[in-house]
Amino acid sequence: MSEQNSITSVQTGATMVKEMERPASSRKVPKLPYLRLLTPTSSRETLILGVIGAFLFFLLWEAAHYATDEESRRFLPSPQHVVATLITLIVERNFLSDVLISAYRIFASFFAACLVAVPLGIFMGCFSRMRALINPTISGARYLPAASFIPLLLVWFGPTDTQKLALLFLGVIFFLVALILDNTESVQKELIEAAMTMGASRWEIVVNVVGRAAAPAIMDSMRNMIAVGYTYLVIAEIVAAQDGIGAVMMRAGRFLKVDVIMAGILAIGILGVLTDILFRLVAHFLFPWNRRRKQ
Amino acid sequence: MNQAESGNRTKSPVIDVRKVTREYLAGTFTAVSDVSFEVQEGQVTALVGPSGCGKTTVLRMIAGLEPPTDGEIVVYGNSVHGPGPERGMIFQAYTSFPWLTALKNVEYGMKILKVPPVERRKRAMQLLEEVRLSPAAHQYPAELSGGMKQRVAIARTLAQNPRVLLMDEPFGALDAQVRWEMQEMMIEIFQAENKTVVLVTHDIQEAIYLADRIIFFTRNPGRIKQDIILDFKAGRRFRKKEELLEQDGYIRAEQQLFAWMREEIQN
Ligand SMILES: Nc1ncnc2c1ncn2[C@@H]1O[C@H](COP(=O)(O)OP(=O)(O)OP(=O)(O)O)[C@@H](O)[C@H]1O
Ligand SMILES: [Mg+2]
Repeated sequence: MSEQNSITSVQTGATMVKEMERPASSRKVPKLPYLRLLTPTSSRETLILGVIGAFLFFLLWEAAHYATDEESRRFLPSPQHVVATLITLIVERNFLSDVLISAYRIFASFFAACLVAVPLGIFMGCFSRMRALINPTISGARYLPAASFIPLLLVWFGPTDTQKLALLFLGVIFFLVALILDNTESVQKELIEAAMTMGASRWEIVVNVVGRAAAPAIMDSMRNMIAVGYTYLVIAEIVAAQDGIGAVMMRAGRFLKVDVIMAGILAIGILGVLTDILFRLVAHFLFPWNRRRKQ
Repeated sequence: MNQAESGNRTKSPVIDVRKVTREYLAGTFTAVSDVSFEVQEGQVTALVGPSGCGKTTVLRMIAGLEPPTDGEIVVYGNSVHGPGPERGMIFQAYTSFPWLTALKNVEYGMKILKVPPVERRKRAMQLLEEVRLSPAAHQYPAELSGGMKQRVAIARTLAQNPRVLLMDEPFGALDAQVRWEMQEMMIEIFQAENKTVVLVTHDIQEAIYLADRIIFFTRNPGRIKQDIILDFKAGRRFRKKEELLEQDGYIRAEQQLFAWMREEIQN
């Protein structure tokens, strides 16, 4: 008995030594503090780092501007110059109305796309036969470049606003459906089964269980896809357009006014960031139950 | 221990599983083969057996979530052809709806049954009290622990006042102490509401603790190996686990079940 005890105590002693060592080694200053796995960043630090990143980008841009030799510098204007051009455009050339027209085109076409994609994606995600019927055709359409629809849309709608909205719509709809289908199918199967055992009707489940369970993910898909919508904006406004950011940029391009082109790019960028923030805010208030999970 | 067959047969059973077979993979794999048993009103039956012996499959067929390939399941005289609120199911996975607060979750099932709002709220509060969750009534599942989430699911199911309660390893994901608390709570609930319960578990002690009767399955294919009434309990339910452990016959029941489990593992 006493022998056993002593063995036990020796063993405990050994583990204790090991345990003493461990915290000591981890107390050392960690190497590469910016590359630590599984370490979340506080929201304040996230903000600061984001600002630093943007600042570095403008610094590089500035440096590139001054590194360019003098006669070609106008092809790479400095950031201040681009901002100044943007302000001049707004104040003197009513650029804001172009921005608003572009924003309208993006939002209207995207809203229409969601009106189709959300019900269709959820519908296919819920009913596998409907998916088998519809999805192969739709997902095949993702491989068609949206720009290839331009001639067709011009014949159908002429150089109208409708034509541009239709192009933006076609640019996102197929991907949006695919993403929402995916979001819907990722809904935990047991949630649906639980609702079924409670006697919920089919449509109750589609709308109030699957729909609500998938809603945050769908919102994320929408946020990502509206960004893709922006990438089609310039294409939509290059052809047969008098107004909108893209049209202004195209006109500037003809006169080699790089500062105006870049001001247009900057305007699209700002609009995009604002859109992203808008979607995040809406999601934040629409899905309070999902907030904690996100972190 | 007696064979269940010798039990009281005068009342018609609540659940009647008749020669049920379930095949998967286009008939190439038989998960459950020719299983028959009856469950009487108010009886708590545990389905026990090694992993993959078809316990979940049997329970899901009773719930109506899967059809039998062959045979029939009759509940309260009606052949089962789909899920229904008279058969409440509690899953191992957390199924409380994450977008609803605990209270709204409990109300959900009653909303489906078109219980008027005032009554719904009242009963939901009462049930949350019963599962000791009142302080968390207005919290979302993401803010609750695993055990609390499971309590929400239990209260939500009880709120519909199902005549039959089907539970598939409801405490499988919980740690030992929470599990034990939940088991005690379930015994109180079984006792208070006189529910007919079918409980799937591979925890032998849990089965002896909660059930009046144990159906032990063997696998490949899933069949009933043994069907026993825990008659050392003499119809009593022991809320306190330590009281159960004091009973003559407890150890023997446990030994017997472990022996069967060992046979299964070695096969
Ligand atoms: N949808 C399915 N398709 C194919 N095989 C399945 C399916 N569902 C279950 N099975 C198989 O049927 C058998 C029984 O499964 P079941 O889930 O009922 O077992 P179980 O007794 O609940 O096991 P566990 O204790 O691990 O939960 C297993 O071999 C399983 O692989
Ligand atoms: Mg199982």
